[in-house]
Amino acid sequence: MTRGNIVEFAGVQKSYDGRHLVIHDLDLGVRHGEFLTLLGASGSGKTTTLMMLAGFETPTRGHILMKGVPIEHLPPHRRGIGVVFQNYALFPHMSVAQNLAYPLKMRGDDRATIAARVEKFVHMVRLEGMEHRRPSELSGGQQQRVALARALVFEPDLVLMDEPLGALDKALREHMQDEIRQIHRELGVTVVYVTHDQSEALAMSDRIAIFQDGRIAQIAAPEELYERPASTFVAGFIGENNLLAGRADGSAADGRCRITLASGAEAMAALPHNRALPTAQVTLAVRPERLAIGRPAELLANRLRGRITDVTYLGDHLRAQVDIGGGQRMIVRKPVDQFPERPAIGAEILVGWREEDGLVFS
Amino acid sequence: MAVAVAHGAEAAELRRAWHRSGQRRRLVSLLLVAPLFLYVLLAFMLPIGLVLYRAFENPELIEAFPETASALSGWDGGEGLPPDPVFATFARELADAPKRATAEAARRLNYEISGFRTLISSSARKIDSIEPAEPSAMRAALVALDERWGEPAYWHAMKRATPSYTPYYILAALDLRQDDRGDVVLAPEDQRTYVDILLRTLRIAAVVTLICLLLGFPLANLMATASGPFAVILMIAVMLPFWTSLLARTSAWIVLLQKEGLVNSLLARLGLIHAPLELIFNTTGLYIVMVHMMLPFMVLPLYATMKGIPPHFMKASASLGAHPLRGFLHVYLPMTLPGVGAGALLTFIVTVGYYITPSLVASAGDQMVGYFIAFFANTTINWGMASALGMVLLACVVVLYLLAARMVGIRQLAGLK
Amino acid sequence: MQYRHQIALARTLRHLFGAAMVLFLLAPLAAVVPLSFSAGSFLSYPLPGLSLRWYETVFLDGPWLATLKNSLIVGTVATIAATVLGTLAAYAFARRDLPMPTAVLGFLIAPMIVPPVISGLGMYFLLAWLGLTSTMAGVIVAHTVLAAPFVLITVTATLQGFDMSLLRAAASLGASPTKAFLTIVVPVITPGIVAGALFAFMTSFDEVVVTLFLAGPAQRTLPLKMFEGLRDNIEPSILAMATFLMVIAAMTLIVSVVLMKKNTRNLGGRLGRAMAETGE
Repeated sequence: MTRGNIVEFAGVQKSYDGRHLVIHDLDLGVRHGEFLTLLGASGSGKTTTLMMLAGFETPTRGHILMKGVPIEHLPPHRRGIGVVFQNYALFPHMSVAQNLAYPLKMRGDDRATIAARVEKFVHMVRLEGMEHRRPSELSGGQQQRVALARALVFEPDLVLMDEPLGALDKALREHMQDEIRQIHRELGVTVVYVTHDQSEALAMSDRIAIFQDGRIAQIAAPEELYERPASTFVAGFIGENNLLAGRADGSAADGRCRITLASGAEAMAALPHNRALPTAQVTLAVRPERLAIGRPAELLANRLRGRITDVTYLGDHLRAQVDIGGGQRMIVRKPVDQFPERPAIGAEILVGWREEDGLVFS
Repeated sequence: MAVAVAHGAEAAELRRAWHRSGQRRRLVSLLLVAPLFLYVLLAFMLPIGLVLYRAFENPELIEAFPETASALSGWDGGEGLPPDPVFATFARELADAPKRATAEAARRLNYEISGFRTLISSSARKIDSIEPAEPSAMRAALVALDERWGEPAYWHAMKRATPSYTPYYILAALDLRQDDRGDVVLAPEDQRTYVDILLRTLRIAAVVTLICLLLGFPLANLMATASGPFAVILMIAVMLPFWTSLLARTSAWIVLLQKEGLVNSLLARLGLIHAPLELIFNTTGLYIVMVHMMLPFMVLPLYATMKGIPPHFMKASASLGAHPLRGFLHVYLPMTLPGVGAGALLTFIVTVGYYITPSLVASAGDQMVGYFIAFFANTTINWGMASALGMVLLACVVVLYLLAARMVGIRQLAGLK
Repeated sequence: MQYRHQIALARTLRHLFGAAMVLFLLAPLAAVVPLSFSAGSFLSYPLPGLSLRWYETVFLDGPWLATLKNSLIVGTVATIAATVLGTLAAYAFARRDLPMPTAVLGFLIAPMIVPPVISGLGMYFLLAWLGLTSTMAGVIVAHTVLAAPFVLITVTATLQGFDMSLLRAAASLGASPTKAFLTIVVPVITPGIVAGALFAFMTSFDEVVVTLFLAGPAQRTLPLKMFEGLRDNIEPSILAMATFLMVIAAMTLIVSVVLMKKNTRNLGGRLGRAMAETGE
């Protein structure tokens, strides 16, 4: 067990029917105090992983260790892990205060302790005056806060959140993201957070684990995932990316290699870390905001000539689609003032990028 | 997406591991369902099993005349009389058997040949007058007591009644019997009654179901589409009788339909009739009352299904230019079929087993199988016959139940969908 | 005829049909109520006068009251037993990991499907074997098995609207499965459980056939006495009892409608759903 890990998945597999695996040989360490997000499409295994950690699902094979102790056969009510559910799962027949008192009562705390603790957490999530309302009398955001407070009120070391903001509208969601971040910092609690929203993951997490078909495609801090994705899948999943098919000529030097695109144009691109020489068929990934356009592009090592096919005005950005020949397109995204002039559809234009901004994947 | 594991050892090992990992949870569910399951098994399925057992059980002769029984089972049952030692054994056991056991055996033998009961009881009374004699002489002595002991038919009947288990009752319930050679043949024409009763039962159930469907379908439709106080009144009209005691409803109908009852006096006062109509204690009464009893069983599943059909389906059909009748036939009707199936099967199953209401409002000629089961059990104390008829009725119900389970599903039948 | 007129005619006919059905379903019940208040002993109108004499016969007379008492004892005990057994089993179904759930459900509701005359015969054999015929215990055992399926179905239907994630929430907050069941499931689905119990009670309270096989003179229930009365000679005291039973039915019906409406998410059974829907 790695020092500093509160939770450790070791060779965990999960099957719901005895024939198909939804989780393949998962190895994952959750560090003390971190905010770890499990990110993936639906069916990728992220929620199953969370449910196994909470104890609602049993791993078909493998072990889950918490503070070094195997817990895969420990029932959920003895794990002491707080959980915030997607639909909040507030008890409809209890008031806000009773909902918050529930975990404390289950632990046999005395009345005074319960009252004090409930008051503290009601204050923390700013629900003063709502203590005696039923969940059905609260707004979605308020219900969300009750759920949050209830998962934290018994001061667990680890809190799991299963798409807790999925039911809220965009403005409220962004506000709650800040609040959850703040509570995480204040309490120093470890959070494992599940979402399918990559911008939410990027905004909140210390680390993100990207799930793909029951495996972790990459686990890293947001910057690293964005700058140094480990695979085409991650490159395409996090943020927008231009993914272009090409051929590598087999030569490589200084961690770079030469690629021939479909149009016949050539480009140099950086090899990802610890990667062997790419095979003949490769994918080149370049972020839209790293592309230069027009005059600035002339100074860059990789340059392609293309024709603008579409322009979208996004307020602070312009987004242009450029046909670079060979049936391939690139998206360029730049702050409005960095465009030399408002590009016209059909105009010929030069697109360029630095060698280190192009990543190549097998 | 989930990917199937390759076949072979790895897949088998995964299956085992999967089974192990879910076991604990499943065990809790099993423990929760176990009390009711065991209770139904012991307090319901076991009794049904006992009915089945009683339909074949045949203990009377073995209890009264054990040695005669074993001697008769050794007899080949060919033409003619059994060998002399059988007569001797029987004469000795007839003299020694307790009165009660003899009476039971006599009653059992009477089912085989009517008149056998008196033969046994009169012989039992006189048997003590016979001097113990050589086995070969006992035959003559018995025949002298009653010459019927010299007829092979009585001995064949006795042999048929000796095994521990007999097909007699179940055959009788189907108007069949075993002849002296052991072949299954039709019962004599004047004794064939039960197949008629069974067919009558099925016919009554079918007619009641059909009337309930014809009345219930438009009623359920009206309930599903009506609004305001009318909808509430309709619902009360269906639910209140459903919750009211069956006997209270039956007594109401008797009062209403009898000769001096409300319907007849109303019709007479209106000058529509001059002599009271026979409205009850006959087939008419049976159908009127049974339809009243069964209508909710038909209406409620239909209503639940119709309520689930969004009104815009019919509107869509109309907006596409379909005549309302076409829309009804091609859109609405097919969507109500699960409700029709559940309602009709439920109505039929419940009607087929009805006993109380028909026994109170129908004539003797309109009674259904249930009546005869109760009759054999409570009046003539013929458990074998009651059980055999019970098995025939149960077979009908089980077939219908399985049919219903297949066609509309258990959950739909129970009203859970 | 114009299309518009056809529709109007169809609507009128539908309403006429509905009114006729209401008459058919309710009039027989309504017609006997005045007769039970008759001063005479003939079961026809016009009434010779009004009196409560038949109610006195029923409620002051020993035999009727004894059977009512028996019915209440049997009904209460059987309802409690059936409600516990049925609710636990319904909860097992709601957990969704029973092997062969449809077959098990089919097995458990069989007492509702098998004609009572067969069940009664079999139960008589069983109780005779155990020496329990003509005992209160025997009648209660039988009524429990007949009533339990109604609880099972009503509570199962209620649990279909129960949010199972509440149980996960309770577990994550430290509640053992038993505590979670008692503190979360039971309070939330109480209306459904009570409705199921009402069903069970009415099933027992109206049971004749099986009781006929099992009860001795000391266990005669109210329906049994009514059955015997109807078989011999119908007199207004039976109508007084019938009226009383209708009042009971109407009251339980109202209670169950109120229960169902109280928590529309947790409706019980098709009947409950049906009632709540029109009640709105």
